[in-house]
Amino acid sequence: MLSDSIIILKKELRRIFTDRRMVAMLVLLPLLMLPVMYSVMAKMGASRDSDITSFRSTICIYEGAGNEEVMGLFIEAMAAINTELEIIQLSEIDAVKLAITEKDKELLLVMPDNFHEDLEGCSTFDIAVYFNSTADYSLYAYNRIREVMDLLNGEIVSERILKQDLSEEILTVFTLNESPMQYDLAKEGSVIGKIISILLPFFIIIYLFVNSMKVGLDTVAGEKERGTLAVTLVNQVSRLSIVIGKMMSVMIAAIVGAASSVVGLIIGSKYFMGMFGASGAAISSYSMSTIHILQFAIVIVPLAVLVASMVLIVSTFARNTKEGQGMIMPLYFVVMIMGMATMQTGDVAPKWMLSTPVINSLLVLKEILMQSASWSGIVTASLSSIVFAAVLIYITLRMFSSEKILFRI
Amino acid sequence: MLRVENLRKVYKNRKKHITETVEAVKDVTFECIPGEIFGLLGPNGAGKTTTLRCISTLIKPSSGNVFMDQYNVLEDEKIIRSRIGFLTSDMKLDGFFTPDYMMDYFGALNKMNRDDIQSRKNYLFNELQMSDFIHKKIDKLSTGMKQKTAIAISLIHDPEMIIFDEPTNGLDVITSKSVTDFLKKYAQEGKTVVISTHIMNVAEKICDRFGILVEGELKEVGSLEDILDNSSSDSLEDVFFGYILPGTEGGEAPHAQ
Repeated sequence: MLSDSIIILKKELRRIFTDRRMVAMLVLLPLLMLPVMYSVMAKMGASRDSDITSFRSTICIYEGAGNEEVMGLFIEAMAAINTELEIIQLSEIDAVKLAITEKDKELLLVMPDNFHEDLEGCSTFDIAVYFNSTADYSLYAYNRIREVMDLLNGEIVSERILKQDLSEEILTVFTLNESPMQYDLAKEGSVIGKIISILLPFFIIIYLFVNSMKVGLDTVAGEKERGTLAVTLVNQVSRLSIVIGKMMSVMIAAIVGAASSVVGLIIGSKYFMGMFGASGAAISSYSMSTIHILQFAIVIVPLAVLVASMVLIVSTFARNTKEGQGMIMPLYFVVMIMGMATMQTGDVAPKWMLSTPVINSLLVLKEILMQSASWSGIVTASLSSIVFAAVLIYITLRMFSSEKILFRI
Repeated sequence: MLRVENLRKVYKNRKKHITETVEAVKDVTFECIPGEIFGLLGPNGAGKTTTLRCISTLIKPSSGNVFMDQYNVLEDEKIIRSRIGFLTSDMKLDGFFTPDYMMDYFGALNKMNRDDIQSRKNYLFNELQMSDFIHKKIDKLSTGMKQKTAIAISLIHDPEMIIFDEPTNGLDVITSKSVTDFLKKYAQEGKTVVISTHIMNVAEKICDRFGILVEGELKEVGSLEDILDNSSSDSLEDVFFGYILPGTEGGEAPHAQ
């Protein structure tokens, strides 16, 4: 029986991997798409940042009545940033606010009347800063002004304390983790692994499913549609051999496609992670030991078998690939939701998650990436995938014995 | 020897909570001996393909049975499949592959070793004059070339019986002749050949015995002489039209056996 499955598998793989379009769709496209996408994103992001930071914002200031003598302090502080200052009158405030909403001006500072009295009397006053959070230039100017104002605030507070003959240290009771020591006691690599584990298992299940769909819908529904399946059925080959052979070919294509997508993701992350500075650089330098790669494979292969069996059952039931595509979409959404659910899971997953196929494998993959997976968890997840895949294969086999399903075209 | 006994096939179609029953084949019985070409004649929808599908184990009879020597389709599916070569017009070959590769593939599925596959390929490619296109993708072949490829593939394991549904349908005169000549030669080698067709002159030229199937019922079984003896018509075509177009010229319904 297995020899027949291998004959069918070889033929299916030959069909997949000697078809240029299929190879391009399954291997080259995911390999190139993510690096190209991320590099474009990174370049566009860098270009946008450079544009925003080099832009000379217009900051309008209403000085408030009676503050002429102390305003110089604030104007001087704001001169440190790349801005065009414009002093306005009380009557112009509404017009400037409208200009900010319309993105014609970036910022408006409204100083309270006679705030010099509060300044001298060591009391607190409020400055209103109007901005537009949907305009990049305005938001950037707002953040820069906050920084400058915080700095000025600190300087004024220091002066007030010194005037009282007190030390500046009175403002700080204690500090946390200020000494140059390693305070995070997590295993080496597991911190970066935790960051990676949030996204990677989700991407993996999506890639496995999408690649299974690319190949799996054609393998039975496409053959029914083209009338090529019956030729195999009248030969001396059992239907179980046909199902197993086809399932294995879908699984291999799914793994190859997913692997190429992950390689694309890794290459792409060099551009993508660069956008996140130092932590990004640490993520792109993450590596796995041989034992973790082995654990990864032990979970991924049965998971790919399960996903391939899901797609095959739909492909067998559908009259043609078009009907199959329609039928498989709800299943795709369910798998996507399962993947998303694992992204939000904490260290201790609920019991229902651990006993749900697909989800439990993704949770174990997360643990492997964090280098904290137990062998019992790995074996349980793999066995669960195998058991559920076996049930789906049995149902597919029953469908292969049904004339109604197999010959309804 | 092939023996079809009281074969009946019922399809159930469920539409909007109403189950519709269609009796595609009604109590069909006939025999076919080695060395003989048996022609199953009938218009479209007469039940020819369903009958041949039951014989080839592709579908199961609702009742009745089909015997090939001591084996039957209900219990010995795999043995029957190893002894037949089956071809119908709705079975297509994957256009992505070449005839040569498909012969290797189906040879392997029929448990043949490499040497046997190669010698069988040489024989069939030569007999069916296929050498010019065995390395071209099936998608690129003409209808006649595809039909020859399908025939070669169905015969890769040298079956004792061949069952061809409309083997000359859509073929040009030359390809059609090479196919019919090949079938005659195959029968002369002592193999059993069952074909279905609605082309009367093809049937008359190559078949030794006939069965006329109309709306799932076998109206006539026998040699040309037997059928004409039972009828007032003087040709097989007239007898045939007598069943499918009763009352037309030459269409006087003869007595069924």
